[in-house]
Amino acid sequence: MPDTTRITVRDTPVDLLRNGDGPPLLYLHGAGAGGRWLAFQERLAGRFSVLSPSHPGHGGSPPAEWIEHISDLAFHYLDLLDTLGLDRVHLVGASFGGWIAAEIATMASQRLTSLTLIDPVGIKVEGWIYPFLFGMELPQLVATVFHDPTAAMALAPPDMSIDTLALLYRQQTALARVAWNPYLYNPLLRRRLARITTPTLVCWGAHDRLAPLVCAEAWRKEIPGATLRIFDGSGHVPHLEEPDTVAAAVIEFCTARRESR
Amino acid sequence: MKFYYFHLMPYPMEHDEASSWVTLSNRHYDPTVGRTLYHQYLDQLEYAEALGWDGICVNEHHQNCYGTMPSPNVMAAMLVRRTSRAKIAILGNGLPLRENPLRIAEEIAMLDVVSGGRIVSGFVRGIGAEYYSTAVNPTHSRERFYEAADLILRAWTEPGPFAFDGRFYRYPFVNPWPRPLQQPHPPVWCPSQGSSETVEWAAQRRFPYLMVFTPLKRIAQVYGEYREACERHGYTASPYQLTVNLPICVAENDRKAEAIARQHAMWVYHVGLRMLPPFWQPPGYTTESSLKRLLATRGKMPTELTYEDLEEGGYIISGSPATVRDKLRVFSDELRAGIVCSGMNGGSHEATLEMMQLFAEEVMPDFREDADVDETAGVGR
Repeated sequence: MPDTTRITVRDTPVDLLRNGDGPPLLYLHGAGAGGRWLAFQERLAGRFSVLSPSHPGHGGSPPAEWIEHISDLAFHYLDLLDTLGLDRVHLVGASFGGWIAAEIATMASQRLTSLTLIDPVGIKVEGWIYPFLFGMELPQLVATVFHDPTAAMALAPPDMSIDTLALLYRQQTALARVAWNPYLYNPLLRRRLARITTPTLVCWGAHDRLAPLVCAEAWRKEIPGATLRIFDGSGHVPHLEEPDTVAAAVIEFCTARRESR
Repeated sequence: MKFYYFHLMPYPMEHDEASSWVTLSNRHYDPTVGRTLYHQYLDQLEYAEALGWDGICVNEHHQNCYGTMPSPNVMAAMLVRRTSRAKIAILGNGLPLRENPLRIAEEIAMLDVVSGGRIVSGFVRGIGAEYYSTAVNPTHSRERFYEAADLILRAWTEPGPFAFDGRFYRYPFVNPWPRPLQQPHPPVWCPSQGSSETVEWAAQRRFPYLMVFTPLKRIAQVYGEYREACERHGYTASPYQLTVNLPICVAENDRKAEAIARQHAMWVYHVGLRMLPPFWQPPGYTTESSLKRLLATRGKMPTELTYEDLEEGGYIISGSPATVRDKLRVFSDELRAGIVCSGMNGGSHEATLEMMQLFAEEVMPDFREDADVDETAGVGR
């Protein structure tokens, strides 16, 4: 099981889960997965020293009023690397976390040994408008995000107490602050993806209904030299739906990068 | 006591969809029916002035069958030239919903000048669903509200041009023509649900507080907080700062009034206010402490309220003229509310006009001790 620590990044408190030995790997979670240590992270911890912080306002990290834009979160994580004294890391981000990871890579590829994006949102793709998750009730939400609805149980809240409901609202609020409009993307990001010089793996669920394969193709095209891998048994969250397979792909990619350097 | 006739201008349809807001397809809206309804509703508001109502009210809601006035200022403009005495209360404009709230300062000033100074200007945030309809970020709602209010009040009162540089709204030149006729500006009202932040904000500025569709117990509590806040700011609240919006159904006897209310007042709660839970509370619209208080009290959703809940809770008033007079005494004497905004629905246009007349002739005269007082003197500004 991971250690939970509270660190402070430029006055912003952050809950950090960490486990494993090896080269440092920063994992940025998706919406609703803050504070959780799931099978995917556990697999990665077999080969890496996995750092899994909760975004401000998610999990146990308190909201940060200064965060107004997705780039604020990207700078926050560059500050986190400085705080922890890490020069270079493998960076893995899923969905919303993938968006933040891509923003970081456009700013500071030199800090990254490799970049893995799992069904990221964050760019506008012609012919596609992301379904508006904020307006959905739970059954529709699960049907949009998961190909295998039983995988959603991993993210189910422990209870329906007032504190838990308040946490869910706080997490949605933290997401909405940076993602309500434009919804789930930064109009400036797509053109900037060409700046990424880090070896990049793009993982995608074949049945993603939030960001379908047309989005995957756009990411592969925009990031120079990016490799795209499709996971046939997954929707928007392959790292939750096929954790072993996706973790193996990430480990293989990161290990090859390390050896080639 | 002063009486304002309140209208939602609903599109009174039945449907089985989960929400009457945001997602209810506008293919259900028949413009031919809508044309008739708009004219009937405007006739009702004009008739209210003729019957002696002190004010008539319009309001803003978007993408729903509950109230079809996405632009209340357009409706107010239609009323301004067809009326001559009644106040026209816009309850209100959804300030954060506008990308350019200086337009509100301009539109209200236009209406105020043309009407000869009869405009009451409500400032609201808009309900949660409106943030889905307009795509405005609900996490900015409160801050945009305060900033837009500040901008509009300054635009009305400070000689222009001046520069305004806010977080959400920025103008190198604030200099609206025309300026409002009422000085220093049209009275501002705050229609709200009783959040403590808004109570404090309104009390500090002497802006009347309007409780909308709220049970009696909660109104009493919020009025208490408002009066206390006024004392803290060094003055005693005028009764005309305490306003309530409640549907009233009056008929020749209690039984008939109840039958009408059961059928038509209930539509507002069971159909008009039916919406998906996320639409009530978009992320960041409510503070976490307010959300926890809401969750702890576990109030019923509007669609869960029975007629008995509404009647016993004091959400609505129904009965014969004598019964309605008695029930209104609770508002005038116990709550000491100075203004009642009430909508009435008799079931048809003709029946509504009759109900309005019955109320004007049999109920209103009993509450006219203050007939010579101008309710807008010294309040709302």
